[in-house]
Amino acid sequence: MGPEQTNRSETANSIPRIQRVISVLWPSFLMAGAATIVFFAIFDPFTLMAPTWFPDLSRLAAYGVGFFMFWALTASSCLLTCFFQRPIRHFNQTKRNP
Amino acid sequence: MNSESAQTPTGGIDHHLFVKRQRIYPREVHGLFAWLRTAAVLVLLGAFYGIPWIRWDNQQAILFDLPARKFHLFALTIWPQDFIYLAALLIIAALSLFFFTALAGRLWCGYACPQTVWTEVFIWIERRIEGGRNRQIKLDKMPWQARKIGLKSLKHAVWILFSLWTGLTFVGYFTPILELAPKLVSLSAGPWETFWVFFYGFATYGNAGWMREQVCIYMCPYARFQSAMFDRNTLIISYDEARGEPRGARSHNSDRSSGDIGDCVDCTLCVQACPTGIDIRDGLQYQCIGCAACIDACNGVMQKMGYPEGLVRYTTENALIGEKTRVLRPRVVLYAGLLAVLSAAVIWGIATRDPISLDVIRDRNALYRETAGGLIENVYTLKILNKGGGHNRFSVSIRGLDGASIFSDDRDITVTPGEVRNVVVRVRIDPIHLAHRSSELTFVVESHDRQLNASEPARFLGPAAP
Repeated sequence: MGPEQTNRSETANSIPRIQRVISVLWPSFLMAGAATIVFFAIFDPFTLMAPTWFPDLSRLAAYGVGFFMFWALTASSCLLTCFFQRPIRHFNQTKRNP
Repeated sequence: MNSESAQTPTGGIDHHLFVKRQRIYPREVHGLFAWLRTAAVLVLLGAFYGIPWIRWDNQQAILFDLPARKFHLFALTIWPQDFIYLAALLIIAALSLFFFTALAGRLWCGYACPQTVWTEVFIWIERRIEGGRNRQIKLDKMPWQARKIGLKSLKHAVWILFSLWTGLTFVGYFTPILELAPKLVSLSAGPWETFWVFFYGFATYGNAGWMREQVCIYMCPYARFQSAMFDRNTLIISYDEARGEPRGARSHNSDRSSGDIGDCVDCTLCVQACPTGIDIRDGLQYQCIGCAACIDACNGVMQKMGYPEGLVRYTTENALIGEKTRVLRPRVVLYAGLLAVLSAAVIWGIATRDPISLDVIRDRNALYRETAGGLIENVYTLKILNKGGGHNRFSVSIRGLDGASIFSDDRDITVTPGEVRNVVVRVRIDPIHLAHRSSELTFVVESHDRQLNASEPARFLGPAAP
């Protein structure tokens, strides 16, 4: 095990798995909550939903759906950040170290 | 990725998900700080579980009525238009956190954070059912026999019941709890209410029952940046190394004053009591939530040994090296000043806010309409919001568009305090008065005693000028 490999493993795995899962789900949850509060403080779901396919959605349901839409958005961007964090060398590993 | 992490030289136990986490069995301690923490739990959870049941003027005293888009706080009603106050309140909360952290370290984490408070309750339940630290460790090592299965099922059943009650209380802040509770029991609550009861209940069960200190270590943003508010005068929990070292076991008649041995008897009770599993004797650590359990544990031992208390104690870095601790420092004064100014601004703002407000929405279906008499007509919906204050009869007029007149089925409008009233009005004008396709006009709503009024500009659309 050369020094380079140690280095690579550390970059790729220095964060515990649970911390990585949490770093996707948790910040996105916080931001989705904040976004939901700000968004629905400004826009009333009734007037917002009137011209759409779901004019009969109750406000409570609209808040719930809105929250999960925000969470899906923020979680996907966290996921992409996490994904792109993997160092490039990580992908070349198999050829260089069979 | 998994297999690699298992091979890494540093890949120890903490590199894996829940299963390989070293489970922490905090030892029960008694003492001043344990008493303070219990008092905090009783007061805070008492408030949390009790407040939704308080009535005021025949309705729930504190109710964040999301479906109706208004928040009731006793006599006060907060509308979406008052969102600025909510933002200001959040800033005040953040500043108070900074203020108390600079002054006394992680007071919030140790005594008031919901994560700490609920974890305390869950640990208390666990101890009543499974016994203390040693019995819990023994039980977990045992094979799965009837007794173990019984104790574990009982513990989780009590945890889940408590979590569901917590979820019900949480949703009770947003929907009247007196109606919600029986509806939930008879399984006739709305789908979203039921969902959030279970969602919040599950979060409580997961965070306080299973995740515990991992929430503080991995998930808490405040834990990450709280050290930025620390300085050498901040109150921290610290081991007095000069007094304690060299640590070690000793015989009963060993001479404490000889200087060969320090006061720490290395009983490791401080480590066993720690809910995040650290050794306070290693110095100030990120994982320390400032719960002071180690202080109580150590003081008990010092009493038994006949040594003075406070080998582990609340102190400051300056005090530890024999310097003077300053309480009033620029940072503390700045936080306190900002807090005072903002709080005053919020109180002043709420006390003097406009009691009525007016929104105007143009009818979107038609730009304009020509009446049989050749007049141009625009239709508007006025939303009159009476935030309270006794005045409840209003009339509507227009300004700024000469020759226009306003018609409505109800010109004399009653809006009781706390109500929003939609009024449809038609504005008509002879096109001869219209110089442009779009002209400005202002709607004015005024109370009958002329004490209150609000106005809102709008556009009047018509054909191109002849």
